[in-house]
Amino acid sequence: MDPIGSAAPARTIALRVNGVELTTPIEDRELLVDVVRKRLRQTGTHVGCYNGDCGVCTISLNGKIIKSCLILAASADGGDITTIEGFSGGEELDDIQQAFWDEDGFQCGFCLPGMLFAARDLLERNPEPSEADIRQAISGNICRCTGYVNIVRSVHTAAQRRTS
Amino acid sequence: MTAMVPASAGSSRREPALGAVEQTRRKHGDQLLVGRGGYLDDHEPPGTLHAAILRSPHPHARIRSVDASAARRCRSVRAVVTGAEALSLAEPLPHFFDPSLVGGRTTTVRVLAVDKVRYVGDPVAAVVADSLADAEAALDAIDVDYEILPAVVDAEDALAEGAPTVFDEWGDNVLIRFPFAEGDPARALAMAPHVIADEIRIQRYQTAPMEPRGYLAHWEPTGKLTLYASTQIPHPLRTNLSTIFGLSEDRIRVVATRLGGAFGHKFNGYPEEPLVCLLSRMTGAPVKWVETRADSLLVGAREYIHRFSVGFDDDGRILAITDRIIGNIGCLATWGGWSMTYPAGMTLPGPYLVSDYDIESIAVVTNKAPWNGARGYGKESATVAIERMVDLVAAELGMDPVEVRRRNLIPPERFPHWTVAKHLDSGDYRGALDKVVELAGYHRQRELQRDAREQGRTRGVGVAFELTPEGGDFAGSYVRGFDTSTVRVSPSGAVTVLTGVTSLGTGSDTGIAALVARELGLTVDAVSILQGDTDSCPYGFGNFSARSLATGGGAAVLAAREVRERMALAAGVLLDTPPEGLVFAGGHVHTADGGRSIAFGAVAEQVYRRAYAVPGLDQPLLEATKVDRPRNLTHQPDEHGRMSAYPTFPYSTHVAVVDVDAETGQVRLLDYTCVEDCGVQINPRFVASQIYGAIAMGVGGALFEELPYDSAGQPLARTFTQYLVPRANDLPAIRLDHQCTPSPYTLLGTKGAGQSGVGGAAASLASAVNDALAPLGVRITTMPLSPPTVLRAIRSGGKP
Repeated sequence: MDPIGSAAPARTIALRVNGVELTTPIEDRELLVDVVRKRLRQTGTHVGCYNGDCGVCTISLNGKIIKSCLILAASADGGDITTIEGFSGGEELDDIQQAFWDEDGFQCGFCLPGMLFAARDLLERNPEPSEADIRQAISGNICRCTGYVNIVRSVHTAAQRRTS
Repeated sequence: MTAMVPASAGSSRREPALGAVEQTRRKHGDQLLVGRGGYLDDHEPPGTLHAAILRSPHPHARIRSVDASAARRCRSVRAVVTGAEALSLAEPLPHFFDPSLVGGRTTTVRVLAVDKVRYVGDPVAAVVADSLADAEAALDAIDVDYEILPAVVDAEDALAEGAPTVFDEWGDNVLIRFPFAEGDPARALAMAPHVIADEIRIQRYQTAPMEPRGYLAHWEPTGKLTLYASTQIPHPLRTNLSTIFGLSEDRIRVVATRLGGAFGHKFNGYPEEPLVCLLSRMTGAPVKWVETRADSLLVGAREYIHRFSVGFDDDGRILAITDRIIGNIGCLATWGGWSMTYPAGMTLPGPYLVSDYDIESIAVVTNKAPWNGARGYGKESATVAIERMVDLVAAELGMDPVEVRRRNLIPPERFPHWTVAKHLDSGDYRGALDKVVELAGYHRQRELQRDAREQGRTRGVGVAFELTPEGGDFAGSYVRGFDTSTVRVSPSGAVTVLTGVTSLGTGSDTGIAALVARELGLTVDAVSILQGDTDSCPYGFGNFSARSLATGGGAAVLAAREVRERMALAAGVLLDTPPEGLVFAGGHVHTADGGRSIAFGAVAEQVYRRAYAVPGLDQPLLEATKVDRPRNLTHQPDEHGRMSAYPTFPYSTHVAVVDVDAETGQVRLLDYTCVEDCGVQINPRFVASQIYGAIAMGVGGALFEELPYDSAGQPLARTFTQYLVPRANDLPAIRLDHQCTPSPYTLLGTKGAGQSGVGGAAASLASAVNDALAPLGVRITTMPLSPPTVLRAIRSGGKP
């Protein structure tokens, strides 16, 4: 007897992921976050809601930060992706990552990759952000451990170190 | 029975200071910062299959039949199991904390529902397929014939005569009643110059860790079962799997993966734990299940009604209180959250000296989903209630709420202090209150409030004192107050700590490593810590009740000291000097005069290479395992009927300033100050981080986090779009300071940091919002203080 349910439509997409050109088979219905995690095994990008609410899946696509649970992988075909694994661009830790560690800007670490992308995006736009600017910039990313106190400090410290 | 240890004897447990604990950044930060956390869903061995669970859409129904035949033919489906089929494959699930242990009712819970479903989300059947999408698709092919039964959703409805019963065999819906009474409160209330009776209702909400739960099981053909689990409590989880499957515990390995937040949500006892094991056995392959956010938001906690009376004199001195607490615990399950109704009553009368009180906490079952642990564990509810009482006393007398608190706080000379269900260890409560008043600029805030009011703004200043019993120990269950750690030195001098406690991002792993490093004169980097793997770590009780340092940390220190003694013996031989005066510092063992030294690693190497060959080198076991526990536990009632299941009592004081937008009902938190006392701090930076997070959770609970149900029993918050948690721009910076009154009863003087802050934040926000609304003649007795609730209150103009 044939199984109930047919195979989902599929295709192959090309991506540049953390500087590496690659192609990967996907199902058309697959979200970008699932392709990144399950097919490309870049598991530093997390899933917290599949609804765009929490921001733990934040990555960079073509130079802009996005919530990767909100777009289909197929629509990223040809795109240039940076995940947390490629965040520091070859260094062990970049200055923003260092600031987060120095200021205890994370606890469980689950929201951390998304926070780092939000922080970098802010500092690229606004090198000297106010506290309110920082809070606004990370308001798309939920953290349940820190009360955001040390995340805000981390971003502030990173900014100060860059400008001093 | 555990004997009481007097404070002086407890103090003698602490040795002369060894010097400061090395303050470092969080261990493993370099891994977390680059995305190598290794959370549950990051693990996926080749050939892993995926499980999906069919859950009840009804709050209460009888299962007439389940037809899963079509699902078995769906694409890539490897196995399907129903409740009836699972009966012969898995024994009933052990309770995390069986209420019958403390005189409550109980029920038998199976891995999947068999005859009846009792809440929306109750697991009914499960499917395993090659992909999660295929497994989820196959759920639609399962046909369940339900006979819908009347549901009961509200706790007071559940207590009413003739209410539908969640468990028919009980006859009513009361799981257990916990009484806590002293003195003659009826008489004291009758004699009191003033009595206020009121209530406060606290909504159902939870901790919402960013990482949902998940489990990955592999039951190998050899009979070895491995379960990777996002759990706080791996060892008792293993014990339970052994009971459920009749599989010897030594053949089961549970690995608690790195947790993306837990807060009680990841206590063990969930049916999905054995379910994935069963599915792996059925398919012969690794099987993974990860909780969806919608499933995660089913887990309840914290829904209470406090109906209280408080009697007091003209000076604001509280003479008596009564509080009838009703906890709507949802359906009873094997997850242990129902037991939060115990601290919800036990914590009262909080930090205040009240000789006459009558508290009853009632756990009521309904057709909502069960509770599980939630940071605060009911103590936050007690704090909200007692602080509300104090505010009402202050308002009635026209006194400053800080002054009423000061007059009623237990004075320092009264410690240790008994109430009927707790033996308070130590503290300077007035000192912490004075300190927060100073730090917050409380009197200045009152002036600013007057100015704001003159400008037509609705400004409120709230105060709260939170008492947070910690380290709970419940003999008879696996929720225990002791734990075990091993310290092991390798020939290279590398030190490994293996412990039965788990760390959930709290920093206690770094703290334990730092404590061991201090004992051995090493840097934190030279000490690694292994937790959560039942194959390598000593049996332990994981993480709950802010216990990790007072139990596993203490045990690690004791083990390190034993290893140090053996290393000293060896070093004495190698340096040809008596071992007594040797000093472990800077990675070396030094002679007392500092003249000669040998590297720590060289001592270890020589022990392994030359033991029994060199005279005097005859103790080659560079490994020790120790148990430690806080004292100050009284498991059996004493001659006055008093007992105490919590050994340490950290506390915190809070001042919150809010503006209420009278047109929209929105509460804006402007300023927040906290002073906390968790005893000795091992790493103050991590303590601060814990307090910040706990305060944010309390603010969320006070202002918007809510898991509402409709009257038919359907849960209404299934995503973070409905379940609103604080975001960075909802919160101000938090001003924090510390006070230290060491616990006389723990090895290190710690009291536990991790839960302090939730209750103080919720209570200070409630205090501030009511203070803001006071000029309008309005008060709010229902949490959360969300815009609809606040607007409704404002528009009522003070009329209920």
